[in-house]
Amino acid sequence: MSQPVITAMDSLTAALKSNIIPNQEYLLQGSVLDSAVEVLLHRLRGLCDNVDSGPETFHDHEMCFSIRGANLQPLLLRVRRALDYQDMPWQLRYIGQPEIGDKSRPTIVRSSIDIGTSSTVVEFLTELGCRMDFEYIVRGYMFRKGRMKITVSKIFKVGQVGQGKPAESMEPMSQSYLVELSVLAPSGQDAIAEDMRSFAEQLRPLVQLEKIDYKRLQHIP
Amino acid sequence: MAYSVNISVEAPIENQIQEITYDGQEIYQSPLSMSESLAKLAQKIDFSKASTEDIIKETGEQDKTDDDSTTKEAATFQSSLWPWDSVRNKLRNALTEVCVLADVLAIAKEKRYIVLDQVPQEALETKPMVQVYARKKALAGAAAVLLAGAERLRASQNELARNRTTPDFHIELLRLRQNWRLKKVSNSIIGDLSYRTAGSKYAQTGMFEVTKAEEECQTTGSPPPSPGAGAGVVPPKSSSALRVTVPSELQGVAYIEVLCQKDQEDLCSATINLLGSGPTSTNPDVHWQQKLEAAQNVLFCKELFNQLAKEAVQLQAPIPHMVVGNQIMATVLPGIQLIIGLCHSTGTDKKPNLTPPQKSEHDHVLEHSLHQLLREVHHKNTHHPFPHPSSGPLGPSKKRCLAGPMAADRYELLEMTKSQTLLEQIIQQAQHFFMRLRTEYVLDTIAKEVKDPLIVSHWNALNSPTQSCVKINIMTHGYDSVYRTPLVVHVGEKALKCVCRDGRVMHMSYEPQELRDLVFCQIYQHQITAVQGLAKCMGWQYLANSTHLGLGAVEPLGNASSCILASPIGDRIIAVRCEPQTGVQVAIAQSPRKDFFPGQLVKERKWENLGGSFKEVRWDKMEGKNFLNKMELLMSSLTSSQ
Repeated sequence: MSQPVITAMDSLTAALKSNIIPNQEYLLQGSVLDSAVEVLLHRLRGLCDNVDSGPETFHDHEMCFSIRGANLQPLLLRVRRALDYQDMPWQLRYIGQPEIGDKSRPTIVRSSIDIGTSSTVVEFLTELGCRMDFEYIVRGYMFRKGRMKITVSKIFKVGQVGQGKPAESMEPMSQSYLVELSVLAPSGQDAIAEDMRSFAEQLRPLVQLEKIDYKRLQHIP
Repeated sequence: MAYSVNISVEAPIENQIQEITYDGQEIYQSPLSMSESLAKLAQKIDFSKASTEDIIKETGEQDKTDDDSTTKEAATFQSSLWPWDSVRNKLRNALTEVCVLADVLAIAKEKRYIVLDQVPQEALETKPMVQVYARKKALAGAAAVLLAGAERLRASQNELARNRTTPDFHIELLRLRQNWRLKKVSNSIIGDLSYRTAGSKYAQTGMFEVTKAEEECQTTGSPPPSPGAGAGVVPPKSSSALRVTVPSELQGVAYIEVLCQKDQEDLCSATINLLGSGPTSTNPDVHWQQKLEAAQNVLFCKELFNQLAKEAVQLQAPIPHMVVGNQIMATVLPGIQLIIGLCHSTGTDKKPNLTPPQKSEHDHVLEHSLHQLLREVHHKNTHHPFPHPSSGPLGPSKKRCLAGPMAADRYELLEMTKSQTLLEQIIQQAQHFFMRLRTEYVLDTIAKEVKDPLIVSHWNALNSPTQSCVKINIMTHGYDSVYRTPLVVHVGEKALKCVCRDGRVMHMSYEPQELRDLVFCQIYQHQITAVQGLAKCMGWQYLANSTHLGLGAVEPLGNASSCILASPIGDRIIAVRCEPQTGVQVAIAQSPRKDFFPGQLVKERKWENLGGSFKEVRWDKMEGKNFLNKMELLMSSLTSSQ
């Protein structure tokens, strides 16, 4: 039996070539005030899959690291862990710049690569030379409709270290909830963007989900 | 400036027509004679006004003589008796007025000295209350008309509703909509009764159509029913206003029949008894809810059978599964077969079906399990786990997520992708069912046969479809506090696992004989250890024991066990030997021996203390309820106080 040995690299490159790895994120974002979030949750509960089971809650802690290489642009990496499911792996995520595409695209398209890691990833990144830029805690609800994932979440500032229970020391960043509609798909499946847009239309009077141009946000002093 | 106007005054020339004769001749009225006209004119004079006219006339005369634009009327008679005088005066006045009016208009037109302005008019006194009352009355009249009409309509509606037993079409449609998904497609109403939204991926659609039921043509217009069928039995008239039409392949009633039976010599005999045992209620008057539910059940059963048939063909089993028509045959245990069939009766076949005697009954529990298994598949199709943390991709299960960080190898990943098919699961459940049945049978039989130690079995109330547990206690009646032997038997799908008292784990196969042998061995070992426990209570010493005795004949089943006990003062010894096949043998010995005679070799007296030979006890003649009781009595009789 003289079969050629299939290495892991071969399988990986074959997988990459056949375009099955979801490495693109299609995203639409919006926000609602605290007073309006109940109505939105009710609506989402009716529109999304699995009406019988209630909305899934999540409680995550995210840290953003950056490393400056030889080039001026720092590389941004995000580490996220689930505080309510301690045995699930941590997630290391790279999010690329959104495609400066034509205005006809209904959603933001950006490359997104996420990897499951153990809890030692923070140490690893620190050893590599990354510095933590900021961190925050997110808490909210998750819904799904087909391939689309909708999250309604509130961002909290992480309290000072050593100040009793972390739950008490969380303070919200704003009086509103962030609503995100996202799909992770392999590149080239642009039809999903149309579905996302039509779903966003159904939520229209309650929340306006749209593309947010981050570059314009950065120029605001 | 004034314009002079020529005025001519003439009397009408024509005389009035008095009469027209039949031949067309007109007879004129003769004109008035002088005296007659004078009289007529004189009658017109108003003597009360005549004098004032004179005075005005005089002043007017004076003005008019100064003015050149006076009228050219030359007549200056001041005689009031002149019959045309008043006429002339009136005309003159009129002329004056008209001249003045013309002057005023000319000046007003210039807008320099006179301007015409609107006189503020007084608003009309509207008297609102009057209007209100008027309107109120009018509205009351209109309202009365409308109310009368509505009353009449309501009365007619009530009359109709009372007379008619069927409810309204729209109310029925509302009820239908509360239970089933409907949508309107051009002119017709189409519904969906499939499990697609619940997670099914079956290709067959479950569309039904809703129409209005025809009115009143069932009872009178339909041909009389055939004399043979149901004469005298009036079908229940449960008509409704709407009618649902289900596709022809989903009509009728279906269910999945599950039979577990021993090997048939001829396999074709198993195929007869499937059809015809289903209910034949396909009365067209059946309510739409039942009809739709039956159709949905038919679709579900079809999907289930389709799935099982596909798996039966694809799976590689040691004894291959057979799919024949509407039946799947699978071998559960050697000699036992599981037959799953789809029974679909539409009630249209007229020939009477004799139900041949079935050897085994339809197993409702396994049918329910099959339904549950398919529903679980549906559930998994829709309920994918959510990612934690929330920014992960939707879809991978927790194991998949952990596979990366935990460095799962290829074997583990492949194992993750494998899942059990429906057929495999149901076969496992059937196997477990049989194992449990056999274990129960074995234990019950042993409990009936063996009365000396009591065999008490407690089955766990909580178990799974593929695993059960039974705890067996072997104890002697009256001596359960002295000693009892516990055993735990885990019943799996094809094997049994027994955990014995001493911690040993025995794995047995599906043969019931193995369990029986094990339990018997345990019983006799129990006897020996129970005797030792009893000896402790009685004060006897335990000298030796052996659970696997190498002495004596080879046992056909298990090994013999024995123990030797000594009395408290040491003068008596009891030896017990237990074996599963031949039972119990007890022998006693006495020390000092009674039959000691010093001989050539053994000279001294002290050697009598070595103890005599063992003499067997006739155990069947021994008093006592059971073995331990007998042992107790034996021990107590051999115990001497000195």
